[in-house]
Amino acid sequence: MKISRKSAAVAAVAASALALSACAGGSGDGNSDDGAGINDSESVNIAWNQPFYSYNGNSMTGNATANNVVLYLMRAGFNYYDEDLNLVQDESYGTYEKVSDDPLTIKYTYADTAGWSDDVAAGPADLLLEWVAQTGKYNNIEPVYDEETGEVTNQAEVDAGVYFDASSPGISLVTDVPVIEDNSITFTYSKPFADWETAISPNLPAHVVGQRALGIEDATEASDAVVKAIQDGDVASLQKIANVWNKDFNYAELPDDENLYLSSGAYVMTDFVKDQYVTLKANEKYKGEHKAGIDQVTIRYNGDPMGQVQALQNGEVDLINPQSTADILSAVSALDGVKVESATEGTYEHVDLQFSNGGPFDPNTYGGDAEKAKKVRQAFLKTIPRQQIIDNLIKPLNPDAEIRNSYTTVPGSPAYDDIVAANGQSQYDEVDIEGAKALLAEAGVTSPVSVRLLFDPNNTRRVNQAQLITESAALAGFTVAPYQVQTDWGTDLSNAKSFYDAALFGWQSTSTAVTESDANYRTDATNNHYGYSNPEVDELFNQLQTETDPAEQTRLLGEVEKHLVDDAFGVTIFQFPGVTAWNESKISGVKPLTIAPGIFYGFWDWKTGNAEASK
Amino acid sequence: MLTFITRRLLAGIATLFVAIFMMYLLVDLAIDPLADLQEYRGADKAAKIAAREDMLNLDTNVVVRFFQWLGHVFQGDFGVAWRSGQDVGTLVSHAIGSTLQLVTAATVLSLILGVSVGIVSALRQYATFDYLIIFLSFLLYSLPSFWVAVLLKQWGAIGFNDFLADPNLSIPVLIVVAALMGLLWVLAIGGSVTRRLQTFGLAFAATLGVMLYVQLTDWWADPQLGPVLIAITGVGFAFALTAVSAGLRNRRALYTALATVAIGVALYYPLQGFFDSVAPSHLMMFGLAIVAIGVGVLVGFLFRGPDWGVSARTGGITAFVIAAMIYIDRVMQVWPAYVNSNAIGGRPIATFGDRTPNLGGNYWVQVLDQYTHLLLPTLTLILVAFAGYTRYSRSSMLEVMSQDYIRTARAKGLSERTVIMRHGFRNSLIPLATIVPIDVITLIGGAVVTERIFNRPGMGALFLNSLQEAEIEPVMAYLLITAALAIIANIVADLIYAALDPRIRVNA
Repeated sequence: MKISRKSAAVAAVAASALALSACAGGSGDGNSDDGAGINDSESVNIAWNQPFYSYNGNSMTGNATANNVVLYLMRAGFNYYDEDLNLVQDESYGTYEKVSDDPLTIKYTYADTAGWSDDVAAGPADLLLEWVAQTGKYNNIEPVYDEETGEVTNQAEVDAGVYFDASSPGISLVTDVPVIEDNSITFTYSKPFADWETAISPNLPAHVVGQRALGIEDATEASDAVVKAIQDGDVASLQKIANVWNKDFNYAELPDDENLYLSSGAYVMTDFVKDQYVTLKANEKYKGEHKAGIDQVTIRYNGDPMGQVQALQNGEVDLINPQSTADILSAVSALDGVKVESATEGTYEHVDLQFSNGGPFDPNTYGGDAEKAKKVRQAFLKTIPRQQIIDNLIKPLNPDAEIRNSYTTVPGSPAYDDIVAANGQSQYDEVDIEGAKALLAEAGVTSPVSVRLLFDPNNTRRVNQAQLITESAALAGFTVAPYQVQTDWGTDLSNAKSFYDAALFGWQSTSTAVTESDANYRTDATNNHYGYSNPEVDELFNQLQTETDPAEQTRLLGEVEKHLVDDAFGVTIFQFPGVTAWNESKISGVKPLTIAPGIFYGFWDWKTGNAEASK
Repeated sequence: MLTFITRRLLAGIATLFVAIFMMYLLVDLAIDPLADLQEYRGADKAAKIAAREDMLNLDTNVVVRFFQWLGHVFQGDFGVAWRSGQDVGTLVSHAIGSTLQLVTAATVLSLILGVSVGIVSALRQYATFDYLIIFLSFLLYSLPSFWVAVLLKQWGAIGFNDFLADPNLSIPVLIVVAALMGLLWVLAIGGSVTRRLQTFGLAFAATLGVMLYVQLTDWWADPQLGPVLIAITGVGFAFALTAVSAGLRNRRALYTALATVAIGVALYYPLQGFFDSVAPSHLMMFGLAIVAIGVGVLVGFLFRGPDWGVSARTGGITAFVIAAMIYIDRVMQVWPAYVNSNAIGGRPIATFGDRTPNLGGNYWVQVLDQYTHLLLPTLTLILVAFAGYTRYSRSSMLEVMSQDYIRTARAKGLSERTVIMRHGFRNSLIPLATIVPIDVITLIGGAVVTERIFNRPGMGALFLNSLQEAEIEPVMAYLLITAALAIIANIVADLIYAALDPRIRVNA
């Protein structure tokens, strides 16, 4: 046999061409293998940016949106926010009522339909366990630190001690052990607390904690033992309970023990792959009102916003809520069959003025002339181009964006309109350069007045806002300059007060709790970095702390804000824009909420779309 | 030699220490573990900040904290990622696994592709093919990987999946593609006019034939290789391999390769039964690959002759390729079930993640699912690394081919194949031997952008996420590992160089 070089080359070319053109073929016997064991369940996939890591969403470690959105699907509770941000009782889980105002006494009663997915009833023991964790009453061992090395010197005792990784200002007012009667539990507050409705929510299953901590197998006995340990203040048992409460429920993939992911709500976790996805299936044992609308929901983790958009286009996910930028919005709007909704999110942008640093807004600068300083502040606030900021920077992301006019309350919540009507902040809606000039002239200060503005120099949107403010304020005679960064803007806010005169940043609202704003505006409160002090505001907050009537709460907040406006404390600007997009052929009924749980709100109304329409 | 290694090791350890110390300071400067609390509004803000400062020892001087951390590392304790409470050791081992999966295939493929294209390009220096490859490699070299990744997602995943819904190309398109392929082969092989025409005709016909076949048999919906195609491609490969590695005059090598193909094809049906009757695993497949190579070597050995080693090598490589085709064929068999499953919904190529949720399925389905997720990130890495390897191998081949010993080899009448493959090619690999170890090792820590964009939970993702979450322990564990590996890779590269090139001698 003679093989020429030519024929060898021919063979080589032919073989390579075959390989390059994607190995072709097909013997045509077509044994399409149905025995491949592929799971044929249908699932709706939701993209989220950060993986779940703790089932204990009420602990300090686990209190993160990434956990709480998953827990929202897995846990029923006594109440939830509806579309209009009203707090509504879920009577299929239980009811609660205010038994008395003085002392504030709340009675929680579990419904027969409340239960865990292992067929154990949910009951007062669960709430009692949550109380002991949040109250801090038995937190008897604080870590002690070595002066020189900074190491914890009593680590062994801290580990062994009763230390719950949690704190709640409201529940710490409940100093007596709540009383359990049959299916109900009664909390007595040592003094009234305005936000009692959201002060406590059912968290971990007491029987599982008891089983793990106390080594008791039977669920009822374990739960009873937990109750007894709490009622007796049995430190030895409480130590074990606290350790389990703090540590056992933190996991980054599906744990071996299925008791660690029991469900009391519509969905139960069936799969959890580290950094990849969590799968939730409708909980067959759930007897409550908020039944799963879709049989199986998978939350897939993808931290790249554009990646989420492309995954939506590729059908890998069906519902996304990426960080909003103009690019993301235009990319997602260009997709076929995708419904896009621009909405607002929990954080809001605002400008606060510094009263206590000898700057232009501090009365001391003018020899203690408070009226003069106030005129300068008012003049500056009049120049802040709130509408222009929204038109230029926010409307491209959320066409419906509006000025936020309340210091304390999320737009869209029931009290917002009344508070805005009362506070009068709308006087700053439009830039008033002439008015500002007039005020400056009245105050008799020499312009230009120099204002150092604190903001995050790495945040492009804030840089752009600062630019707009600078331009507008210059017209009235203010020279606005970025402040000199000392360590970083967040730390400087409280530690470098003499370096800035005004601060531009965002606050998060996580709930509609009325006491949340206390820390911002009370004299010397944690978030009041500006030396703002108004005894009437302090007094109003004192009343608010203990006021439990919603209408009265709204009136008090309105008065607080009226003072803030009159004192020219600062202005609020806008609510952060968010974008939600979903594949209409896969899911319908999505109604994102401004505050947590955002896109997961109303999962009971979700419906699967008709899959054949998907492209 | 021992002194040399010791000296290099000590210098390496010193470098590592300084690097790690500086990185600790820099990371500490870069992160702000209290950032999220700064915008927190609750009344217990001060308490929360204090608790976190206590937990992270933020009051302690950063230098002291560095030595505390180092002390723990010496005891094998990498610490805990405080935000999620996960053990850093576990995090890192998980991440390395995922990265290796991604990097291995990408490195091997880009090396094979890059080196072979580079060599051909060097042999055709200043021909059109060479310029084409230079243009292409500079183009790819200058593309940022995040951009390549986004484009690949758009066209390689979304576009290709759309195409799969109706996988038909019009006849003119097919003809143009086939003509382009023909042209490419003409440019690569060159030769006389007749030779060029032959090459073009053959490549054109083969490509068009294949594409028509694919289209007419609805191959995309039910892709198969089957014994016939494995046999045809195998025989072609056997000829090509022998021609390149042993020369077709070496009949023993050729017969070895052909015999190996015959054995492989004969085993096709028995293997199907075998695969169905056992519970396959990666380990078993690896074992089977070793067995296959062993059989190929054995066949070569049985043909004996004066240099049976060449035959054995040819047999081994052929056997591996045939085995790989049978394996791929078996994976392809689950394609229809995979694509039509609810979890996939007819869109098999994925844009992110490392698996499809809730897919289930047997070993073959799992493998296929891994491939569909690995495809795009691997392509991204290949496109970028391919360019570099092409440049290296081209220039090193050019340098070698101008050496005196090449002229000598030609002068003493060796065939051109022997001159290129034995005297040229082998020597041109020496400089690559110093680059590849460093590349491989840096890739283990370095596919940061690719992993991030494709959301693969590897080392790069671990580093980025931990940095964002202001967790210094995982960041430092990552930096320690990559820095140590980089230093080791440098030492290894030096040693390999010394071992490969007799002109380099280590005089300790």
